[in-house]
Amino acid sequence: MDETNFSLTQLQNWMQGMLIQHVPVSTELVEVSQVVNASKRLSAVKHLDIYRQSYIARLRACMQNQFGALAYALGNELFELFADQYLDANPSGSYTLNTLGQKFPAFLEQTRPDAGEEEKETWPDFMIELAGFEYALSEIFDEQAIENNTTPTNDAPDELLKLTPVFHLFHHRFPICNYYLEFSQGKEPDLPFPEESFCAVTRRACKLGLFNIRGAQYYFLLNMQQGSTVEEAKGELVKTFNFSRTELDKVWIDWRRNFIASGFFCLKEADKFGK
Amino acid sequence: MDGNKDKYSDTVKNLPNPGLGLGLRSKHFNYILEHNPAVDWFEVISENFMDSGGRPRHVLRQIAEKYPVVMHGVSLSIGSTDPLNWEYLTKLKNLAHEVKPIWISDHLCWTGVNSLNTHDLLPVILNEESLKHICNRINQIQDFLERPVVFENPSTYLTFKQSTIAEWDFLRYMSEETGCGLLLDVNNVYVSAFNNDFDPVHYIHQLPHDRIVQMHIAGHQHCGTHIIDTHDRNVVNDVWNLFNLAWQLTGGVATLLEWDSNIPDFEAYHAELLKAKQYMSGLAGINDIAEKLPDEEAAVSNPVDFLVSDILG
Repeated sequence: MDETNFSLTQLQNWMQGMLIQHVPVSTELVEVSQVVNASKRLSAVKHLDIYRQSYIARLRACMQNQFGALAYALGNELFELFADQYLDANPSGSYTLNTLGQKFPAFLEQTRPDAGEEEKETWPDFMIELAGFEYALSEIFDEQAIENNTTPTNDAPDELLKLTPVFHLFHHRFPICNYYLEFSQGKEPDLPFPEESFCAVTRRACKLGLFNIRGAQYYFLLNMQQGSTVEEAKGELVKTFNFSRTELDKVWIDWRRNFIASGFFCLKEADKFGK
Repeated sequence: MDGNKDKYSDTVKNLPNPGLGLGLRSKHFNYILEHNPAVDWFEVISENFMDSGGRPRHVLRQIAEKYPVVMHGVSLSIGSTDPLNWEYLTKLKNLAHEVKPIWISDHLCWTGVNSLNTHDLLPVILNEESLKHICNRINQIQDFLERPVVFENPSTYLTFKQSTIAEWDFLRYMSEETGCGLLLDVNNVYVSAFNNDFDPVHYIHQLPHDRIVQMHIAGHQHCGTHIIDTHDRNVVNDVWNLFNLAWQLTGGVATLLEWDSNIPDFEAYHAELLKAKQYMSGLAGINDIAEKLPDEEAAVSNPVDFLVSDILG
């Protein structure tokens, strides 16, 4: 077979196509043996196959690393099937592997097995929510933030409290946070039934904290996240959910203590210096 | 450009030898911070830290205050025909400004084209056209980073029919044309030599030894018909013997043990590195490069799953 005279660009396009697009070697116009040398132990095709096989295995391992709980929930075989399809459809375009799974939750939504059915099964919803949560955690882990804020003491006035710089709220249709926590503690959680759940994720001293919270706490903290003070967030809760202000003030004592202990709050900068 | 080439070349020749180093892996963060182990220096994977606003970057700042650090990248893609990624290079420069590495290194390879990244260190075609292309890119990058870059010979699993230059000569011409430094990965020489039918001893003899500022050693997996560069086990004797030869020829340079998969605890990792001391003198066994029996399990070259943030670590 004659040697093919590729330009650099042509050669790189050809080789990348062989890796990423899973182009069957025999259907290519250019035979591998025209481009790649055989050695005394391997044919040209076998040499190229080392790269082809490693490409998908390597990225699949990264996906498994980034979506460990999802891989457990789906089982390795099904996870690999989804991951391989995803990587086929969404080859990486980034210098970093941390964003490899960025579009995976959306991909799972688009390709859910019951996409064409009127009656939807619930397990794909769980898997999609879990995938989204795991990817969000990886983003929060690396989020740019200055974490030198002062943690308030229990007697700090409410008006000095603000949310800690790395603070995220989640509202799920399944007990996603519980499931993730059990998985990360080495337990073997069963697939859960649908059950509305709320959680907060913080990062303190560069470590993630995951906390299950109640619906009312979620909406209170959501208001603070949108810029409300403690007093304004309480007012919103009373107005929106028709809560008794007296009852809210009673439970606020416990909420406040728990929120401070969990690292949800830090002190406002200006007030820290008495300004 | 020639002025800069000479400047970079002089810088490379005057780079220090920090001694025996280890790769900084998230699994070992706590151990290092708590025990301050007697390691001469650490090599960090640039991409693991350049986007981090959390723990990896926080830990790196602390470690860089106590140990010399080298930044080793996997995404420069010096051989690619895509345009240079200035966003990536800017982040690399910013990280270097913060960490103050003794040098920055990457690989003689390409990782993708058409804005895609295979996250593999793919082999470059070794001919005049690619040499010119790569030297041009090295010049631009070194001028942007305002420092010489050090390039590593990759482990390769194929050679191209269109290649006309031996890899050792390609590396020599590259360093002569740009003033860049070289990182000799002894294990990669062994792996590539077995896979592509050349003599690893001849390869090491032919390199421009005065351009080599660092060596890598690592474990690999022998699959019978080929060897995969797995970085997941102890260094084999044949590679230690090649290291011994390279040590003699270079006069001794900074040496680092890579371990990226099945990473052992820190003490075992460090103990494997310290074996290098036995091979830093004398010329024992350099002609004794024997083929090894194959290992059994499936292998993946250049494992990269350790490059994904370990959020539970």
